Amino acid sequence: MTLSNQYREQKADSVTTGTPSEPDQHAITDWSGTVGDALIDDPRMSTRNVNVFYADNQAIHDVSLDIGKNEVLAMIGPSGCGKSTFLRTLNRMNDSIDICRVEGDIVLDGDNIYDKHMDVVALRAKVGMVFQKPNPFPKSIYDNVAYGPRIHGLVSRRAELDEVVETALRKAGLWDEAKDRLDKPATGLSGGQQQRLCIARTIAISPEVILMDEPCSALDPIATARIEELIAELSENYTIAIVTHSMQQAARVSHRTAYFHLGKLIEVGATDKIFTSPDHKLTEDYITGRFG
Amino acid sequence: MQTSTLMLVVLALVALAYVMGRKRSVQLAQPLGGIKNLHSLPNYYGLMAAVWTALPALVLLLLWVGLENTVITNAVIASLPDRLAEQSEGQLSLTLSKVRNIANGVMLGDADPALAQAAEVLTRLQASSQAGKIGLTLALAVLGVVVGWVLTKPKMRARPQFERVLKGALLLCSMIAIFTTLGIILSVLFESIRFFQAIPITEFIFGTQWSPQIAIRADQVGSSGAFGAIPLFVGTLLIATIALLVAVPIGLMSAIYLSEYATHKVRNVIKPLLEVLAGIPTVVYGFFAALTMGPFIRDVFEGIGFSGVSAESALAAGLVMGIMIIPFVSSLSDDVINAVPNSLRDGSYGLGATKSETIRQVVFPAALPGIMGGILLAASRAIGETMIVVMAAGLAANLTANPLEAVTTVTVQIATLLVGDQEFNSPKTLAAFALGLMLFFTTLMLNIVALAIVKRFREQYD
Repeated sequence: MTLSNQYREQKADSVTTGTPSEPDQHAITDWSGTVGDALIDDPRMSTRNVNVFYADNQAIHDVSLDIGKNEVLAMIGPSGCGKSTFLRTLNRMNDSIDICRVEGDIVLDGDNIYDKHMDVVALRAKVGMVFQKPNPFPKSIYDNVAYGPRIHGLVSRRAELDEVVETALRKAGLWDEAKDRLDKPATGLSGGQQQRLCIARTIAISPEVILMDEPCSALDPIATARIEELIAELSENYTIAIVTHSMQQAARVSHRTAYFHLGKLIEVGATDKIFTSPDHKLTEDYITGRFG
Repeated sequence: MQTSTLMLVVLALVALAYVMGRKRSVQLAQPLGGIKNLHSLPNYYGLMAAVWTALPALVLLLLWVGLENTVITNAVIASLPDRLAEQSEGQLSLTLSKVRNIANGVMLGDADPALAQAAEVLTRLQASSQAGKIGLTLALAVLGVVVGWVLTKPKMRARPQFERVLKGALLLCSMIAIFTTLGIILSVLFESIRFFQAIPITEFIFGTQWSPQIAIRADQVGSSGAFGAIPLFVGTLLIATIALLVAVPIGLMSAIYLSEYATHKVRNVIKPLLEVLAGIPTVVYGFFAALTMGPFIRDVFEGIGFSGVSAESALAAGLVMGIMIIPFVSSLSDDVINAVPNSLRDGSYGLGATKSETIRQVVFPAALPGIMGGILLAASRAIGETMIVVMAAGLAANLTANPLEAVTTVTVQIATLLVGDQEFNSPKTLAAFALGLMLFFTTLMLNIVALAIVKRFREQYD
């Protein structure tokens, strides 16, 4: 905790103080492939030359990106840059869109997830997802968390299920608030609590990777701080890919940051570096607030 | 002047008041520097002037027309000599219609002088009533025009005032539905009470024999009649249950297919086709049930060893009725399933649930209240349906749970009881009202219970 707090403060500082007012002399301005360290050793998940099309429109251009183990990878970029689309390809949530077509390799544990033998259900049990707007099921808090373990048959007895639910709620930092009202409707929780419930619901099936699509955009600052704290804690056990509109948030929670622009992956690097001395002109313009 | 002409004149005055009010507000605004200095738009001043003209005049007219007859009749009765005024109710109404006939010049000749005198009173009263009605209404309307004109000032808050008038009008409209329902219930209730004076209520509710044929005149040969409603309600229940057993699964499944699995193209073809089922007249369904389904069922069941299966059976009626009400279930369910937010589906898919798991465990519970609404609507349709049953299930009031026998339903009996020449005081006719009351009561209970169930199991998603 202390460590991650320090980490955050340090980076938050660098964002506020390290504003480069003069354009870098050696900044890269043209597009000739991703700048920075998109590929790493021993990744949890890796993508190679991914192209995504909506009918004839190409939404993602040739993205190759690795996500490390126990890493928080932030994806930032202006609206419509394809970061959410890219995130959703990672657990094939785009399958439900008829006109969407994905090319390239996305590999998890040595398997290409777009292989035709791949079981989407099993994939999504390994790659969980938290959405922009809290979307608890209209059931009790308990049933929300127990939903995943039940449909995947992870537990055989009620006592085990109770344990799984409790562990998940504890990890999501919701146990103390929810333990006395487990049988109450989840929709009665506040927005921040609902989002933590959705995170608990996701970790209840013990995924390897958790995808978060702007998880705080519908929350107030206090609830947001709570979720960010939670992300730091979760990164000890899970790999997290988070899409966010808030650069401060990316700076606070992530280890690596990827900057997307018009469907292209412009630059990837350690969060410190991206927010203090980005190599690409577009990245610099974005993080200094010239557009986006 | 006829009342309708009077109405037209009042309407013309209303239009005049609108134009004048509007114009005056604009004129008043000119010296102040344009209509921006008015409290409200000129339109509202015109509307308020129109309201002032229309409302009092029309209310008066309505009251006058409503009370006119009663007041005049009472006055005429009062003018009659005692020997005529103090008669039985029936005699009195006969006398009154004679008076009316004389007044209208239909019955000339050897009239009772007392009646002729009453007729004269009637004619005189009618004439003065007519004159008063026209005069007062027109006076009020004209007064309204003047009031509207005078009240139109730049400071007048015409917009909120008109808003209040609108609110009142809306309230009135909602009241009309409620009062109509109340009126129907009361009229049925009073006739039912008359019925229960002739037939004990316990015999009606608990009796197991239904044969309403009774002697109308004392010298007529006929059975004494039995008014036990149980066979009718059992028959209704039997047919409605069969219909729902057909319609609910098929309707629900097709709704799920349409909303969750079908592509847009398929959906756009199938949904309207399904809804065509609701547009087929029930008589046509009746043909189908009586001429095709009934004999078919008889043949099938005789083929597998049942004997004495009637071509008129509860099964035939129920099956066809079930097909008829499929669209009620499917169309409404489809709408509510579509209304379940996609974020819930995404959440479920994101946890690795399959499509059918998502539908069963997330979408269906969230859509349950709406689905129950559709089923309820279908059920009340099934209970109230008459034509198919008349044609396919017969008129024999058998108390049976065997769907292969002929049964009859409450609505069918109501229809047959009221068809043809009837005497309104006989229990046979009044039984129809008692049945209607019971039916109303039953469906009301059904609704209350269903709503309670929905409330209990509802899963709210927003």
